[in-house]
Amino acid sequence: MRRLRTTGVLLAAGLLAAACSSSSGSGSSSGGGSNSSAASTVTISNEAGQLWSCGFSPYNGSTNFLSTGFVYEPLVFVNPLQNGKTTPMLATAWTWGAGNKTLTFTIRKGVKFNNGTAMTPADVVFTFNMLKKFPALDLPGDWAVLSSVKQTGSDQVTMTFKAPAVPYFYYIAGQTPIVPAAIWSKIANPVTYNDPHPVGTGPFMVNPCTGQNITYTANPHFWQPGLPHIKKVQYPAFTSNNTANDQLANGQAQWGSQYIPNIKAFYTSKSPDNHYWFPPTVNVSLVPNLTNPLLANVKVRQAMSMAIDRAKVSSIGESGYEPPANQAGIVTPTFSSWLDSSLTSKYNFSFNPAKAKAVLASAGFHPGSDGIMVNSKGQKLAFTVINVGDYSDWVASMQVIQQNLKAIGIQLTPNNLAAPSFNAALYSGKYQLAYYDQQSFGPGPYYELRNWLDSHNTAPIGKTAVSNYERYINPAVDKLLVTYAGTTSTAEQHSIVRQLEQVMLTQLPVIPVVEAVDWYQYNTGKISGWPTPSNPYAQPAAYAYPDMEQVLLHLQPK
Amino acid sequence: MRFAFRRAGFFLLTLWIALTINFLLPRLMPGNPALAMVSKFHGQLNPQALHALEILFGINTQTSLWQQYVTYLHNVFTGNFGTSMSFYPASVRSVIGGAIWWTVGLVGVATVLAFVLGTGLGIVSAWRRGGQLDSVVPPVFVIASAVPYFWVAMVLVLIFGISLHWLPYIGGYNVSSDTPSLSPSYFGDVLSHALLPAAALLITTIGTWILTMRNAMITTLAEDYVRMARAKGLPGRRIMLDYAARNAILPNLTGFAMSLGFVVSGAILIEYVFNYPGVGYMLLQAVSGEDYPLMQALFLLITVAVLVAILIADIATALLDPRTRTAG
Repeated sequence: MRRLRTTGVLLAAGLLAAACSSSSGSGSSSGGGSNSSAASTVTISNEAGQLWSCGFSPYNGSTNFLSTGFVYEPLVFVNPLQNGKTTPMLATAWTWGAGNKTLTFTIRKGVKFNNGTAMTPADVVFTFNMLKKFPALDLPGDWAVLSSVKQTGSDQVTMTFKAPAVPYFYYIAGQTPIVPAAIWSKIANPVTYNDPHPVGTGPFMVNPCTGQNITYTANPHFWQPGLPHIKKVQYPAFTSNNTANDQLANGQAQWGSQYIPNIKAFYTSKSPDNHYWFPPTVNVSLVPNLTNPLLANVKVRQAMSMAIDRAKVSSIGESGYEPPANQAGIVTPTFSSWLDSSLTSKYNFSFNPAKAKAVLASAGFHPGSDGIMVNSKGQKLAFTVINVGDYSDWVASMQVIQQNLKAIGIQLTPNNLAAPSFNAALYSGKYQLAYYDQQSFGPGPYYELRNWLDSHNTAPIGKTAVSNYERYINPAVDKLLVTYAGTTSTAEQHSIVRQLEQVMLTQLPVIPVVEAVDWYQYNTGKISGWPTPSNPYAQPAAYAYPDMEQVLLHLQPK
Repeated sequence: MRFAFRRAGFFLLTLWIALTINFLLPRLMPGNPALAMVSKFHGQLNPQALHALEILFGINTQTSLWQQYVTYLHNVFTGNFGTSMSFYPASVRSVIGGAIWWTVGLVGVATVLAFVLGTGLGIVSAWRRGGQLDSVVPPVFVIASAVPYFWVAMVLVLIFGISLHWLPYIGGYNVSSDTPSLSPSYFGDVLSHALLPAAALLITTIGTWILTMRNAMITTLAEDYVRMARAKGLPGRRIMLDYAARNAILPNLTGFAMSLGFVVSGAILIEYVFNYPGVGYMLLQAVSGEDYPLMQALFLLITVAVLVAILIADIATALLDPRTRTAG
């Protein structure tokens, strides 16, 4: 008994001693107060849900957001928040050729990779041709529209298109990071290349990376003199939202890209330097499966759109973070200049349950004995709607929508699925209604509308539709999209988008409910230069690539 | 000897069944890893990239199920677990290798501590049945073990981490001031970050050991040989440890071996609450990312660890208790 007791006491004493000595040695490890190192360090709080694998390939889907922008750069920075405003990066100038079938870039001189070697047009040509040779790397999707990329002058590279595809400028110039040919040409299979020590032209280098944290240090060979002002970036790996949010609230991280519930109480009240901004990007929509005979009736969809109280969904489901959307499908205020208000007042889909009931009546539906609308053939307006169960805000939003539609006699039964099952059902068309948003965002409403409306992006039920999940097929719309792709005239682009808005308002292929946003928090205590609503010089989320490069180049210690 | 062979044979059979189930289970899941990856992209992805990803993951390649099974068995026995899809292109071995030592360290040490302390407390409680220790300790810890361990973890974080600032509660070590090295300050840092998670695990698991040990001891203490030892005048502590505890601990050994086997499954919610690097949460992410190679390797690790642990427990019991050797 005595032996046990003494051993126990010794053990406890030993542990306590170790703990006390370590906590005094490691400084502010328990939180509270900002990072004790120099103010030219920025710590990012972005929960990626897993530890880092310490691979940095810019063409690998699970790691490109860690290297594109930090280490690798594209030819041009295209800002989606300023309608595609361009900033020359590795290319200084570009011109479209005759009929918009060629695009010639002038490559910047004097740029060096972070190992001191020079970047030349040959590296640009190599990068694009590597994507052609290994389609698994072509995440930007460049070779869907390109036919060749060649060097055509001492510092010029010309790209030839299969057919005009002006909107693809965003992917080709803005989303294709340039890699050094000297290193990548020696790799037998770049698809499986881990790229643990990335060599690029960007402002930072990886030094070092562990499973729990990546440290980026400033690139001494960076081509913009005097930049970056920030000398170190820390990017810890978070597996859960709570710990990531904690780091922001206690000031250890200055740049957040987190969804924070009750953000005022949790974050902004902790310090006057804590700010947030959520710029809207794409629509979160109720997606009808247009092969369903009842949902194929446009009047049913019109009634649904009129019956949803979008403002309530935004305030209750999304805590007011995501503003209400409009049936025209134009995200505001990001793309307000494209919205034709004469159309939205002509086809008014603001909240009006009485009008919705009238529309259903004109379609031959009357309330059944159970309160659900039924037509003369006995078909009930009762549907299942699939939703991603992990997204608690979408689940809450769906509850509001369910109540709204119940009020006009349409019954919705939510089916909250785990992500794998949801994806399988949505992409293959095995659902009646779904609640989702487009997975890609570009510098104009064209990009999202094309994803929803282009019949080339859909597939029969049972096969994978890449983005046109609702199976909308309209050759006239396809023609409009092709015309848009062939022009660089903004007047013509606006006219086509107006016609696409008309399609959204008259045919309602999908029903936008709220607008998804970029998550963004920032602390102005020791660092200035952050993107703000009045100065939206780049997409502000730390996971937006290559926009985070622009943010890091603008930041400086106060 | 025959006993050892029979046990080994049974072990191999169970192992083969486990391997086969491990092979079939992920293939019964809906969806594919390309779709899972698209939704992780936060809106940067050109829809055409879906095709690129499908090529990458070999979604549309056609090899027969039997062919895949044979390749799988071959790979298992040569230690080649393939390339992870959610950590592409890192190999599964390197992905698991980076996290497993944290799990084994934290959960392994916490389990051993819980067993040693729990068994010790159980022995003493049973010896002084009805005394002060016995009235307080077992009920308190049994109630503690009924409480969900993530709740205990969050309460510890709130009290010791956020309110009092005594202990760190995020990660395995302080990422901004330390890099992994063999220095005492790094080890100290790791230890201080492990205290709260280990405490949460300890508080919630120790109750079972106390209770089972105590009850086994009480049964043993009623045996004739204990009465004989007391009659012969042996000191109380010697009877308690050398005779009663030694016999009472045998059932607990198998339980301990099994829980050691389960150490490699990690503690998902502890890792979640403390952002502690480990394989538990990794397994959850592998499942939601449809990362078949990683999932299979982790399931395999858990299964083999538990099977080996049971085998060792059986052999240890046979060695320690002659009664189990003779029957059958």
